[in-house]
Amino acid sequence: MAIKAILVINKSGGLVYHRNFSNEESLSSNDYLIIASTLHGAFAIASQLTPRAVQLGEASNAVDYTIPYIPYVGFPRSNANQNEKSRFSSNNVSITTSLGSFKGDDYFKEPFQSWNKSGIRQLCTDQFTMFIYQTMTGLKFIAISTQIPANVNNSDYPIISIQVADNLLRKIYCVYSDYVMKDPFYSMEMPIKSELFDQRVRQMVSNIA
Amino acid sequence: MSNSSSMPAQAKSLKHAGEDIWKNRTEKVNAELFTLTYGAIVSQLCTDYERNFQKVNEQLYSMGYNIGVRLIEDFLARTALPRCENMVSTSEVVSKCAFKIFLNITPQITNWSHEKDAFSLILVENPLSDFVELPMDAMKQLWYSNILCGVLRGALEMVQLDCDVWFISDVLRGDPQTELRIKLNKVLKDEIPIGED
Amino acid sequence: MTSKMAGDTRSHTNPEQDGMTEQQKLQHQLQVFQNSLPKVNQIAFQMLLNEMVPLAVSVENKLINSEIKGTPKRNSSELEEMITNVHITAPLDKPSHKLCQQLYEANDGTREKILERLRSMGNQIGNKLTELLVFSNNPNLVFKDMDLLSVMKFICRDVWKQFYGKQIDNLKTNHRGTFYLLDYEYRPIQTFALDDQSTEEELAMIKPFFEIPVGLIKGVLSSLGYKEEEVVCMASYIDRPTDRPKSTFNKGVSFHVQVNMQ
Repeated sequence: MAIKAILVINKSGGLVYHRNFSNEESLSSNDYLIIASTLHGAFAIASQLTPRAVQLGEASNAVDYTIPYIPYVGFPRSNANQNEKSRFSSNNVSITTSLGSFKGDDYFKEPFQSWNKSGIRQLCTDQFTMFIYQTMTGLKFIAISTQIPANVNNSDYPIISIQVADNLLRKIYCVYSDYVMKDPFYSMEMPIKSELFDQRVRQMVSNIA
Repeated sequence: MSNSSSMPAQAKSLKHAGEDIWKNRTEKVNAELFTLTYGAIVSQLCTDYERNFQKVNEQLYSMGYNIGVRLIEDFLARTALPRCENMVSTSEVVSKCAFKIFLNITPQITNWSHEKDAFSLILVENPLSDFVELPMDAMKQLWYSNILCGVLRGALEMVQLDCDVWFISDVLRGDPQTELRIKLNKVLKDEIPIGED
Repeated sequence: MTSKMAGDTRSHTNPEQDGMTEQQKLQHQLQVFQNSLPKVNQIAFQMLLNEMVPLAVSVENKLINSEIKGTPKRNSSELEEMITNVHITAPLDKPSHKLCQQLYEANDGTREKILERLRSMGNQIGNKLTELLVFSNNPNLVFKDMDLLSVMKFICRDVWKQFYGKQIDNLKTNHRGTFYLLDYEYRPIQTFALDDQSTEEELAMIKPFFEIPVGLIKGVLSSLGYKEEEVVCMASYIDRPTDRPKSTFNKGVSFHVQVNMQ
């Protein structure tokens, strides 16, 4: 799953972070702002479209919003062993392997519930696929991939990739909570300037080859 | 309490989640260091405000609020807990997860209001005020750990729960127990992120 | 004491145990002791430290305000009533980043008062922390007849480790009361990020965060017998040595301590 862009949108639909990973023509900042607010609106409309029947009664109990934990999404392939070693060999975990204040070799290790129940979680077009992870506080973490299901009959493909995306985006949320929220200079709801955040996001995305 | 019997399974898993994160996923510092740093802050405020303890209380509260609105993201990213359906489950999350993860204590939940919109947390231990003794003039007026009220207020507000949070009693003031009250004013329905329903 | 030590070391099955020097054993012993102490989440502590600077600014704002308005004296029963209600209506502060910004823009007089408030808090922490470490049965520490250099080493090693989870990277001295404590990765500021202002401005905005450790150092010194008026302590930025791995914050901090003894 090659990811072309990561966006973070605040609860009012304002773009607070975007990073383009493709070498091809890049959108202007203004384009990204428009994408963000359009997406925010489309998300709300989609939520209205979700048939009430799904939200009410027995049907809603039947829907499982659990996202499985996929180990080491966003880590280098050989990560598991390496991290263990570096943790025990010295207290000075280098920045590249450090998970900030998250102890252990992965940000989390258990399946989790999606907070996004009736909004858009995945959007497929002929040109791109988009994944949206929304937090309880209303932040949206978005991954855009230009990879599209090559074979629609292969139903495994989209399912796995949305799970990978949810795992990745929750991790980006973890990094956000660690590097952006603990910076007293960060102005809430405003664009993220933290280089550390940017660095970690880029690292994680580049590891998803 | 009635709540723990009504949903033992959920309460149990919350307890487990809180303990797991505290034990295995949290960087820790000596509680004494935390206590004495907070102590230095409170004592500085008492000096600055010339022992006008009402102002000290307010200052601690608003300091807490500014922490709470940020800390909530850390809590949610770490736990990914689903939204609480009511204050009963909110109380469980606050006590068994939030207090456990950040301060390694699990306050008792008690004194539910009739409408189940307000409850108390009894802090048997309190790492903010371990070994603290208040001078006589502060005993009646200072809510030493008032920062906690601000943190909770700020954090709950960010998950669209407009709550009042305040101390009813404190062992530091000679009360038999330390009781913190949380009362839900209203759920900020308009602010709940679309897509959650 | 010795038997307890042996017990502790044995329980930790470390193959290199036998090759340990006395000093290493003591360090290990200390670690075991440290691990046994009650703990809180490091994040709770970090948030508290981070908020101290905005707090100091907010206090200054309120003091200036009440000076202008003048607070009418209230009788105590009235006050008590207000206090019972305060939590419900407590006014909220400006957000932290605004308060930090305000400090940067403050005039010299106001800024100095705010910095003094931070130093004073640091000072109190230093006092209490020393007490704590003195009574912690830390086998590394013999406070009796401790000379100035040992005190400095104590600050670099034990105080810093407690407070910042790492030691001072380098201690320099002229052996005549001047010390430079160099921290190339001062922990609390590593995650700080500012708007796209010039670096100078950035650095200036972060600098107030050093007043807490400045106070801390003076607090430790004063509780070990070096009176406040004998000690000058200042913090400044230094370049990080090029051979060190890249850090997230590109400057180190130097704490310059001058002890003038009669």
